[in-house]
Amino acid sequence: MISKKIAIEVLNVGLSTGADYSEIFFEDSNSYSLSIENGRVETSNSGATCGAGIRLLKGNQCVYGFTNNVSKKGLLKLATDLSKSFNEKQKLTVTDLKQIRCKNRNPVNNSYNDISREEKIALVKEGINEIESEKDPRIVRYIGSFGNFHRFVAVFNSKGKWFKRSSEFGRLAYLVVAMDQNGMETGFEGPGCQQDISYFKSKVNPRDVARHSMEVALKMLSAKECPSGKMPVIIGNGWGGVLFHESCGHPLEASAIAKGLSCFAGKEGQIIASKLVTAVDDSTIPQAWGSIDIDDEGNLGTKRTLIKNGKLVDFMIDDFNGRRMNREGNGSCRRQNYKYCPTSRMSNTYIANGKSTKEEIIKATKLGLYAVGFNGGSVDPTTGEFNFGCSEAYIVRDGKVCEPVKGATLIGKGSEVLLNIDMVGNDLDMGQGMCGAASGSIRTNVGQPTIRIKEMTVGGRGGELK
Amino acid sequence: MKYDLFFKLAKEAGIEECELSISSGHSLSFSLFHGEVDNYSEDESFAISARGKINGKMGTASCDVWNKDKVKFLVNEIVNNAIVIESTDPTFIFKGSEKYHKTSTFNKNLEKISIDEKMAKLRQLETNLKNYDKRIIEVEEVSYDECFSTHTLMNSHGLKLSQKLNYFVYGGAVIAKNGDQTKSGGDLFLANDFTKFDTNDLTKKICDQTLRKLDGEPCKSDAYPAVLDADVVKSLLIPYIGHSEAEEVQKNSSLFKDKLNQKIASSKVTILDMPLAKTIFSRWFDDEGVACYNKPIIKKGVLQTYLYNLTTAAKDNVQSTGNGAKTGGKIGTASALLVMKPGKTSLKDLLKKVNNGVYITEVSGLHAGLNAQSGNFSLQATGYRVENGKIGKGLDIITVSGNLLDIFKNVITVGSDAKLFLSGVVCPSVQVKSIKVGGK
Repeated sequence: MISKKIAIEVLNVGLSTGADYSEIFFEDSNSYSLSIENGRVETSNSGATCGAGIRLLKGNQCVYGFTNNVSKKGLLKLATDLSKSFNEKQKLTVTDLKQIRCKNRNPVNNSYNDISREEKIALVKEGINEIESEKDPRIVRYIGSFGNFHRFVAVFNSKGKWFKRSSEFGRLAYLVVAMDQNGMETGFEGPGCQQDISYFKSKVNPRDVARHSMEVALKMLSAKECPSGKMPVIIGNGWGGVLFHESCGHPLEASAIAKGLSCFAGKEGQIIASKLVTAVDDSTIPQAWGSIDIDDEGNLGTKRTLIKNGKLVDFMIDDFNGRRMNREGNGSCRRQNYKYCPTSRMSNTYIANGKSTKEEIIKATKLGLYAVGFNGGSVDPTTGEFNFGCSEAYIVRDGKVCEPVKGATLIGKGSEVLLNIDMVGNDLDMGQGMCGAASGSIRTNVGQPTIRIKEMTVGGRGGELK
Repeated sequence: MKYDLFFKLAKEAGIEECELSISSGHSLSFSLFHGEVDNYSEDESFAISARGKINGKMGTASCDVWNKDKVKFLVNEIVNNAIVIESTDPTFIFKGSEKYHKTSTFNKNLEKISIDEKMAKLRQLETNLKNYDKRIIEVEEVSYDECFSTHTLMNSHGLKLSQKLNYFVYGGAVIAKNGDQTKSGGDLFLANDFTKFDTNDLTKKICDQTLRKLDGEPCKSDAYPAVLDADVVKSLLIPYIGHSEAEEVQKNSSLFKDKLNQKIASSKVTILDMPLAKTIFSRWFDDEGVACYNKPIIKKGVLQTYLYNLTTAAKDNVQSTGNGAKTGGKIGTASALLVMKPGKTSLKDLLKKVNNGVYITEVSGLHAGLNAQSGNFSLQATGYRVENGKIGKGLDIITVSGNLLDIFKNVITVGSDAKLFLSGVVCPSVQVKSIKVGGK
């Protein structure tokens, strides 16, 4: 840990050549992961990471560097090296640092570091036993894994603030590979949280998670290839929110908006989505996977409504990109670790509940696709073009969910899809993911109720939809 | 010696054999937006991962700071992690190969180039991009990155191997607009010889490939004879060759299982693992310390070998192929450089051969639309129609779909236009019998 006295000295060296902001980000984290393959513990791995990143800002310029040497000497050297980017006189001086205190909405009572490896192994094996009990010869490989991560962070900045933040995460996952004469399919599920191990014993049942992974792999084995073309698409609740995350969430980050590089830049106050759509990024949900009490710039976590009844009202903003937008940061500044310069990112991002039931949405669909599970996706924030792959999908015919189909890819433009949402369900749920962008891989929740898109391009190998 | 304490404490803790893998280096990067430096970063990095054996079981741990506390941490965690391992797979801390073919991946001249010179080229790139075509309405970013690193492997048998590496990357991204259509695109140049970088070449590549995306529209869903651009072949080649990893074969999740010495691809297809080829991807020892060597994986369509590390090789009673690669705490397998052997037909002649069909220039969303396990893919794509042997109307908002095994079986002609990609692949464009396109 860095003392206040050293921090003040380092911040001032950072400011010595005319920077208008300096910041030290200190991190001391540790992690553990294990994997069990075909019934036996195959890997057990521990990691520790400790370092500091220094960021200097001057107008719209950002200078960043990091080091593993967190001694006074190491930090002063880094600050001196970085300050060479500017060559003006010092404008600001830090004389004192006041601690920002915030509510801890994400307490983990029993640290994963105090739980034995044996207990974690036993937890994963519950799900492994469930898969083995099925004795289905088509299951050729099954992997269960558990990982936990403890992170301590302290940030000091030239606004005279400092804070510390401690957080812990756990994640359980199962991957099942099934094979028959037609080919090979996989099923995956991996719930995670900012809660202690009791979450995986009370709120999530490892047997259910493993069973679901197995059932998807087996179901997809017998599924036909998905037809391709334009069709109505119903997107299932929970993980279905990856559609919004990719096609609208990323283009609503200040990193894309500030430079006018997003398809939504300059559209604040305009209707960009169907009136049925209200979308939110909320980092204050207690103990959720993507929640943060305070961001990497010292701004408190908030609930931001991004789209209200179809109208674009807000963005994910960090202080640096906010400079180009004449806006203050709103608690969205995040990074993977000290090796990354932070930027605006999502936390728990979801489409809010509407009024229809899932059953009503399916019943109202004559011929289309019902996409329930997703592998992930990607987006070009400039154009809003996205694509994502379905891991579990069905054909809907005459208002009924019919045969499963595999290999479906949904492609389109976020701006068009948002306007094409014509039904929104009332069954909001969340799914846990790792989101990769400029400031590294961070934990985010995606979420939504069941929704229907009037028409969308579906890619698949199964010919025309009939 | 700095690392002796680790080996001493490991021995005292009952660790029979152990190994340290150390990466250290420094990197520099900066980017411009509208002529201003908007991001600048430099850093010193250090990472160490350790493995050790107790009763034949391997425990692993890693850290990024080297002091007495962290040495104790590594030793303690190796012991505690080894104890819970249940796998009966054989494990190895390697004594060393008989011979190593050292290759050079370090260019000492790169260190002599001043920041001003690097910055000047970047400014020139930004200006060139801005002025290339009036449909280029914005230069999203131009960036420079460089990395110097040293990777050292040392173990309790006294083996010590070390390789130095440096490279630089220039990159740029632009936005093009025509009427209502907006498209973005970018590309990179990667090398460790600064004299090889030409801003005009990179400008042309970035702008041409972005501009050609404009004015595209979907075609009718159907199967079309096709040319797949080298960039598309690269995207499909990596997951395809993933099936040659011995662990996948041994664990029943490879499409190449039981296919050794059998014809799995068109006789036009030869794919090699070339760790000793002179590129920045060159490696002369793998992550277990085994000597790397060049070899065919698929020769004229016939599968020649699986890729092995020491553990999977012992299980099949063969020698490691020097493809051990660390991912997290585990040693898996990987190829340092995959090369698809080019043919003699130019891209222009490949299009002539197709006559009427499609030329697919880009696929995206690999992690979403490609099931590496089953080999099935359905990917967002862009390209052109091929009309009377020439490039015709642009194609946009289409998907291409198929299966990796089928695609490489259906290769009719291999192009001569082989390119090196950032993902460690060299490959040319190919003509395939047909590919399914989803559009209108």
